[in-house]
Amino acid sequence: MRPLTPRHVFTICLALCAVLFVAVVISLRVGAYPVSVRDIVMTLFNAALRRWSEIPPDFQSIVLNIRLPRILLGILVGASLSTAGAGFQALLRNPLADPYVLGVSSGAALGAILSLIAAPHAPGLIQAAAFAGAIATIAAVYFLGRRGGQLDSGTLLLAGIITASFLSAVIMFLMTTLPGRDVRGMAFWLMGDLSSPSTVDLKWLYFLLVIAVGSIYTTSSDLNLILTGEQEARHLGVNVHRVKLVVYVAASVLTGLAVSVSGAIGYVGLLVPHVIRMLFGTDYRLLIPASALGGAILVVVADTLARTVVAPTELPVGAMTAIAGAPVFIYLMRRRVR
Amino acid sequence: MSTPAQSGASLTSPARVTGGEGTPRVKVEQASYAYAATDRSAPKFTLGPASFEARQRELVAILGPNASGKSTLLMLLAGLAKPLSGRIEIDGTEVSKLDIRTRAQRIALVQQESELLFPLRVWEYVLQGRYPHGRRLRFESDEDCLLAGNALAQVGADAHRDRWMDQLSGGEKQRVILARALAQRPSLLLLDEPTQHLDIGGKVELLRRLRKLADENRYTVLVVTHELNLAAEFCDRIVLLHKGKCLRVGTPAEVYERDLLGEVFEAPLEVEMRPGGRPRVILRGSH
Amino acid sequence: MVAVATAGALIATTAPRTLAARFRAQAKSGRAITDEVGRRVVMPTEVRRIVTLAPNLTETVYALGLGDRLAGDTDVCDTPVAAKQKPHVGNPQNPSLEAIAVLHPDLVLATTSINRLETVVALERLGIPVYTSDPHTVRGMVDSIARMAELVGAGDQGAALVAQLRERLDALHSRLADRPMVHVLFVVWEDPLITIGQNTFIADALRWAGAESVVLSDRNWPQLSIEEVVRLQPDYIVFTSDHGETGATQLADLRSRPAWRDLDAVEMGHVVDVSEEAVRPSPGLVDAIEQLAHQLHPEAFAAKSEIRNSKSETRLALEAVREAGRECRQCAR
Repeated sequence: MRPLTPRHVFTICLALCAVLFVAVVISLRVGAYPVSVRDIVMTLFNAALRRWSEIPPDFQSIVLNIRLPRILLGILVGASLSTAGAGFQALLRNPLADPYVLGVSSGAALGAILSLIAAPHAPGLIQAAAFAGAIATIAAVYFLGRRGGQLDSGTLLLAGIITASFLSAVIMFLMTTLPGRDVRGMAFWLMGDLSSPSTVDLKWLYFLLVIAVGSIYTTSSDLNLILTGEQEARHLGVNVHRVKLVVYVAASVLTGLAVSVSGAIGYVGLLVPHVIRMLFGTDYRLLIPASALGGAILVVVADTLARTVVAPTELPVGAMTAIAGAPVFIYLMRRRVR
Repeated sequence: MSTPAQSGASLTSPARVTGGEGTPRVKVEQASYAYAATDRSAPKFTLGPASFEARQRELVAILGPNASGKSTLLMLLAGLAKPLSGRIEIDGTEVSKLDIRTRAQRIALVQQESELLFPLRVWEYVLQGRYPHGRRLRFESDEDCLLAGNALAQVGADAHRDRWMDQLSGGEKQRVILARALAQRPSLLLLDEPTQHLDIGGKVELLRRLRKLADENRYTVLVVTHELNLAAEFCDRIVLLHKGKCLRVGTPAEVYERDLLGEVFEAPLEVEMRPGGRPRVILRGSH
Repeated sequence: MVAVATAGALIATTAPRTLAARFRAQAKSGRAITDEVGRRVVMPTEVRRIVTLAPNLTETVYALGLGDRLAGDTDVCDTPVAAKQKPHVGNPQNPSLEAIAVLHPDLVLATTSINRLETVVALERLGIPVYTSDPHTVRGMVDSIARMAELVGAGDQGAALVAQLRERLDALHSRLADRPMVHVLFVVWEDPLITIGQNTFIADALRWAGAESVVLSDRNWPQLSIEEVVRLQPDYIVFTSDHGETGATQLADLRSRPAWRDLDAVEMGHVVDVSEEAVRPSPGLVDAIEQLAHQLHPEAFAAKSEIRNSKSETRLALEAVREAGRECRQCAR
């Protein structure tokens, strides 16, 4: 009997952090403009000490202003989506659940498209409108997904799917029938795109990320129990109603956060929790932090590939996450010894 | 001949056949319940005022045909609903007033389990029984592991410790579920029709184990069942329910009356007394 | 260690803002103008390195004689041929910010017809000035060329080019003045069948060539069914040609297709192709309009059988010769 210990969790997360770090360094290094690792380290070091004059202007521009913000955005999005995915898989009792199944991404997309229609030349508005759309959808699906005043997994899933389809239909309607409007930017947004820097300071977004992931983490013991059966969990003293509410809100907020800054990047929320489960087991006390880090790694790697494979053309990140993630998943599935 | 025992003081049993000592651990006084399909329609089902007691080391069967209110009574005992009238107490405290964690520390309920979503090992499953006894986000201590191990030993499932839950047979799984309940270290162990999917060997084995748990480990065990003979053979006390009414409470010998049982179960039954004071029920005209 | 990582991340996230602010401070030394989408652009004092984000802008830069000032363009910029040799920054919809930044442009040219607002915003945040043009009409495009020329300090070349373009447009207009408009179906995409709306640039270009789209729609790219086309019975069908296909092959193809071959236009052989440049707001557009006008209103040009040679770059002359050759093939049918 070897139960999960805090040390074990810490060790694995440390290892994943190391992998993430390597991915980040490689990502900073590659691109249209070659930069050596030494240059990267020196640049980061000088930036941390705020010695701007010591950094050559090209490095400032390429490494600090273009690549690093993009990587940090990718980490944020990857961590958000995979944690949300793990949360929804437990909440909906469905291993195929991904962060978008409850319609949050469609709501965000609708918000974005409405802002493009209303104010086509206001850059910061899209992000805010998308997040507003996400929040509205979260609330709507919550009220639709209740049964007897409590969140019911089956009803929630149904409500979410219906809402997602409805919103997608509205979006398609708007995109094809609006007079004279060119919503070309939406195509990229729907595919998932990390090339546009966030208009909101990343500090606040990371703050929100930490709070949301932390909230879900506090319920991880409860989730382990709930996964063996809701009734059983209740009999063991789990406040199932409260746990479901916390997970629902936190995971939806994470999804809204990710989608409003980068569009709907696919596969991360679905694949990463499963890969982590295959590698490290199904205990949510490890799954939550490991998924967050795993998602960050996946998105950073995918984005690096997306911008270097056919440089200088940039491919959509969503395509890369599928290409990078799916084979790994298949390999692990075949390797599993049971 | 047999009058349905109704409201009034709880019945005490003058001659104990086996088990039961000390003050009652569980006291059910005049508890009743009703629920309807919707808020506005008339109550579809009511559980009439029921009263009985159970002591330490007692194995009590809540017996009755289908839809007699057994599961409802169990629900009240487990504190999942508040009785409309009367009270249910455990160790002197009203059950419905306990907070959910404390209740889980005192009462363990074993029901038909749901399907597991993700693979889980037996020891992980049993270890979850320790959840009520710590913080919400907890990592199990050595003591937890020890108690979980003990629980597995108590049900004789120690050999399955490292196996996967979905590889177990029905009987093995039943034992592991019981082990999880025991890992909670409850005062009261409630089981809802635990013999349903077991063959006769499995049924006997389970009841034997429950008997042993009551005798040796001082649990108070309440089993909801409709297995007449098993209940008669192993239990100290029977609570007989019929259509929501608590008809009789007492030892198997006291409760098993031919006409009473025939009326309740709507079958031609014959009651035999065996040596040792335990009755046996057979179908009339079968020999 | 977690604390260090977090601190590092926090510091790192504040860095870009500070840097961009510094770049913006430097840029403030130039003069501020408003571009065609209403954005405030701070122009540098001298524009020596230009990066274009669309093929029509590349063409314009070359037409103004500023080919040597072009530091980089997109990988779909193929007119003139020399543009293909320039460093590429990606495709117009999603160019690589890095590739652009590395070229150290003084000015980046973008257009609403193919570029995204996000790209413009991202470049601005890096401190790189971007001028966005927003062509809706042919005349507007010509004015835009004049403005861009003046901004980059090539006012004289710009004035000359623009004067010549305007002259040709006016000549065409007067020649077609008393001719009735020809009704055409302009095919953007065949399957599904997509054509142009009233407010598009192409619709305006068609009007200059003496043609009107049979489809009146407020949307930019209305989709319609072939039955609708049969009902509308356009006089001509206009395709854009990929380099290779000609009107003849298009016609043969249409004659073999069920609903299409019954159209009057197909039966009479009134299928015309125009080069890709017809859909682009660039100087070459005027050539394409003239070519189209010749095909749709042959009677108006009966007296003269060649395109007037323009006084601008060699590329346009070569283009003209090529088109003249095509036109002769068509007339010979």
